[in-house]
Amino acid sequence: MTITIALPSKGRMKEDASEIFARAGLRITAVGNDRSYRGRVEGRDDIEIAFLSASEISREIGNGTFDFGVTGEDLIREGLTQVDERVEFCARLGFGHADVVVAVPEIWLDVDTMADLGDVAADFRARHGRRLTIATKYWRLTQQFFSGNHGIQLYRIVESLGATEGAPASGSADIIVDITSTGSTLRANHLKILSDGVILKSEACLVRARKPGHADDPVVEEIVRAVRAVL
Amino acid sequence: MPLINLPTFAPDLLADFASLQTERVDTPVIQPAEPFLDMAGEDLRRRIFMTESETGQSLCLRPEFTIPVCLRHIETATGTPRRYAYLGEVFRQRREGGNEFYQAGIEDLGERDVARADARAVHDALFVLGHRLPGRTLKVVLGDQAMFEAVVAACGLPRGWQKRLIHAFGNQDRLRDLLEALSQPISTGVFGPEVERLATLGLLNDEAALSRHIDETMQATGYSTNASRTPADIARRLREKMDLASVRLDVKTAATLRAFLAIEVPLNEAPAALFDFARHAGLAIDEALARFDARAKALVDAGVDPAVITYRSAFGRPLDYYTGLVFEVLADGDPAVLAGGGRFDRLMTLLGATTHIPAVGFSLWLDRIEQAIAQGASA
Repeated sequence: MTITIALPSKGRMKEDASEIFARAGLRITAVGNDRSYRGRVEGRDDIEIAFLSASEISREIGNGTFDFGVTGEDLIREGLTQVDERVEFCARLGFGHADVVVAVPEIWLDVDTMADLGDVAADFRARHGRRLTIATKYWRLTQQFFSGNHGIQLYRIVESLGATEGAPASGSADIIVDITSTGSTLRANHLKILSDGVILKSEACLVRARKPGHADDPVVEEIVRAVRAVL
Repeated sequence: MPLINLPTFAPDLLADFASLQTERVDTPVIQPAEPFLDMAGEDLRRRIFMTESETGQSLCLRPEFTIPVCLRHIETATGTPRRYAYLGEVFRQRREGGNEFYQAGIEDLGERDVARADARAVHDALFVLGHRLPGRTLKVVLGDQAMFEAVVAACGLPRGWQKRLIHAFGNQDRLRDLLEALSQPISTGVFGPEVERLATLGLLNDEAALSRHIDETMQATGYSTNASRTPADIARRLREKMDLASVRLDVKTAATLRAFLAIEVPLNEAPAALFDFARHAGLAIDEALARFDARAKALVDAGVDPAVITYRSAFGRPLDYYTGLVFEVLADGDPAVLAGGGRFDRLMTLLGATTHIPAVGFSLWLDRIEQAIAQGASA
């Protein structure tokens, strides 16, 4: 059986992923030209590579289209329900670090914890005639964290597909849930991360779609072992 | 359109509703999604079936009847009191059971005699369930949001804590965790470095000066000062939080609250149990007790056998529009809730009513009632 691996199709993620596979003895080359979306591993006819966008990798791994994928944990956890039943996180790859965080305006001097935010959300409607709004593209992670971990129900999500950190200043939402690696963009927009507001410490991961055939496939085991050995 | 999956007892149920002086209403199956998400929170989004209109409006399949019935009442402006009955399909993603099922119920809007209306809701639920399940013993679990709020207020707790406790009421794990957290010295409020800087500048002692400072900072950093929380809001809550930072929930008050939450007695013993509790704890909750007594008497007047009702003090619904009575009806020896109801005096104004309209109602899970009937037949 041919094992398929989905890798990010561009940027740092693509380079870093290729480098790790190369160190693991699986040298990846593009089929045809450099911009091709198909690749192979030198000397291995039993492994195929596909290059996709990071969020598509999350979706397709969930569907079982590929056997392995490299993408951010945030995209996997946001994109899939019952994630641990559908995929296995085989290795954390040490690049693509980013935290999904709850950030509020710096000037909210009275809000430093999720408990503070819960208080504010609870009587937001009475004071402002509407619910507290959160700008984010992370619907699922936000809902799990707010209602599952902190019992905060009374808020509304405003979908934001870009420049989320600008939402509080522009008035389109009160707070945000977004990804940050250094926090500098948040600071530049006068936002602060709540002290217990880190929802997920994400990084690029090697993930495997849980498929029945994998249990006795030596190549599956070999790939996981080879990647883990070089981390 | 003939609805062949309609429970066979539906016509009899509707006849019962009519005999209870209600007016049958129907509402569109496709509803604007906003009011449901606004009232119940974002969590509901995963459980309802949503779509979008061509113009971008969020729509959903009716997940329940209370909000549509109330909205319809507000739109038609027909005046109160009104007693509405409904029976129809609702759509929700459930872990157990199908995603489309029937609900029926009564919403009693605008009745000023709160005790009487409460009692009537419990009576009506028992009346229609009794007709569907003759010979089965029905049991009612009754709770009272207003009683908990009165106890919390009488304990003399700071406003911020009262709000937190009331917000957690109905979720027993959260309430227990909260009581624990408030009792512990390590749970001091967290303050950021900016607050410490302001403290050294002496800005924290004067709420007006603090508010001015926040206003200036917002202007300087490009925040609109009226789109979200205002400088005055932030200043007030910061002061409130600082006042609480050095305070702990004392052992006696914590014990009082725990003792209250442990009360579970037959309804006819409840007034005495609550009175004893209040006297023992030294709490002045006379008004709430009087309302509780009035409701208990009204239940008897309405012909409800108090022996089937258990008062459970910790029973509530963690939704901010419930204000008083909450209840559930179960058949003896079966864990399925057949009817659930309560008083939601805040809902009508939240939905846009211009006057305060007291409201109480209940809804029946027709699929569970069908199962209970089938179980009774096979037993």
